[in-house]
Amino acid sequence: MSDPSAGDTDVAEETGTDAAAEAPEGTEAAEEVPRDEVREKQLAVFTEAFGDRVLDSHIVAGVDLWVRVDRADWVAAVELAKVKLGCTFFDFLSGIDWAPSPWGRYEDALEDAPRANGSSPSIPVNTGIPPVDPATVEQGFAGGATRFQVFARLINVKDGTSVVLKVDVPDDDLSVPTLTRLFAGANWHERECWEMFGFTFDGHPGLRHLYLPGGFEGHPLRKDFPLVARMVKPWPGIVDVEPMPATDDPEAAPDEETAAGDAVEAATEDQASTGEEGTQ
Amino acid sequence: MGLVESGKLPKSLTTLLNLSRRYSMWCYQWGLACCAIEMGAAFAGPRYDVMRLGVIPLPASPRQADLVVISGTVTDKMAVSIKRLYEQMPDPKYVISMGSCTNCGGPYWDSYSVTKGVDQIVPVDVYVPGCPPRPEALLEGIVLLQQKIRHEDPATRWRGDPIVVQ
Repeated sequence: MSDPSAGDTDVAEETGTDAAAEAPEGTEAAEEVPRDEVREKQLAVFTEAFGDRVLDSHIVAGVDLWVRVDRADWVAAVELAKVKLGCTFFDFLSGIDWAPSPWGRYEDALEDAPRANGSSPSIPVNTGIPPVDPATVEQGFAGGATRFQVFARLINVKDGTSVVLKVDVPDDDLSVPTLTRLFAGANWHERECWEMFGFTFDGHPGLRHLYLPGGFEGHPLRKDFPLVARMVKPWPGIVDVEPMPATDDPEAAPDEETAAGDAVEAATEDQASTGEEGTQ
Repeated sequence: MGLVESGKLPKSLTTLLNLSRRYSMWCYQWGLACCAIEMGAAFAGPRYDVMRLGVIPLPASPRQADLVVISGTVTDKMAVSIKRLYEQMPDPKYVISMGSCTNCGGPYWDSYSVTKGVDQIVPVDVYVPGCPPRPEALLEGIVLLQQKIRHEDPATRWRGDPIVVQ
């Protein structure tokens, strides 16, 4: 995928990058796209029940079906999948934060940073690539209109098919109806999602911390959650730069080392100043 | 034991006390992650046989333990329990930190939930590096601890309050 931001957007929705990558191929050679009648029938069940309120959908033949519904239809869509499609196994529920990290991409070396007009990239806090423009972020399968999404996967254990249901969560009201009345097992998934992303699940029997200590502040899986250790220490892969073993040229290797060392020195000075400001 | 607390123990008695202490260490196992597998191999398996070193890895409770081996990823949520465990152990007590996660956070050095080194919570006597360390490495850590105890003045380890009989 040409957009460098896509790989960074979300690990949980890694398949989302595939969606964008496959989409152009599908438009170029529409005849060669394999049909998946089973999943098309499943999708027809949703369109029949909700009509235009099926906001978007996506089928990867032989793999999965993605359906994005309105928040008001969230519980009804899950119930439909459970009752009509026989998806009685609740696989998981989780959230997505599509915003790119405002802290940049720590794990990438400075040399890989995209540079506008030949200028050196501005480093916000630490080493690594500066933040991605949020406008360039594409949301994976079945699209989306908001920064946050909640998605759940349901499996029909008899024929092995599964459905991924997604719902947009607007920034000003981070709440989704609970699924615990349909699947008791959704309880802990929603508790985890609540503490990691900060979504509330309306009607949930007890939203309290599951993994994190009780006094934990913040929502760690949000992209803007600062990882303090990274503020004071550059990514080890950038610091411990060694010449490739294949480099036979004895003069080339020391050059690389010094260049890398300079970059790290500059970065550590930069972050030392910002780090002090941050702590005060 | 007032002699021990005041540090006025005769040298011959200190030597005898240290000899018996270092070859009868009751070791509490505090396995938190994958390092616990290696610790289990070192402590419970016949191949490495930690009992030949005088370590008994089967105390029923921290109150019977002289040594605790903390192996694995210490999270902030678990840190409270480790502190309590340490406080329950009677003096003199020793801590071995096993594996990179316990030593410094290891691969989770930037995590939001992992304590970056158990020495932030309890004092550590021996660090065993590795990810995970082999059982031999843990055995070497125990031998190092025994060498440390050998040359030790028991009074320096006596951090607890004196026992008062009423």
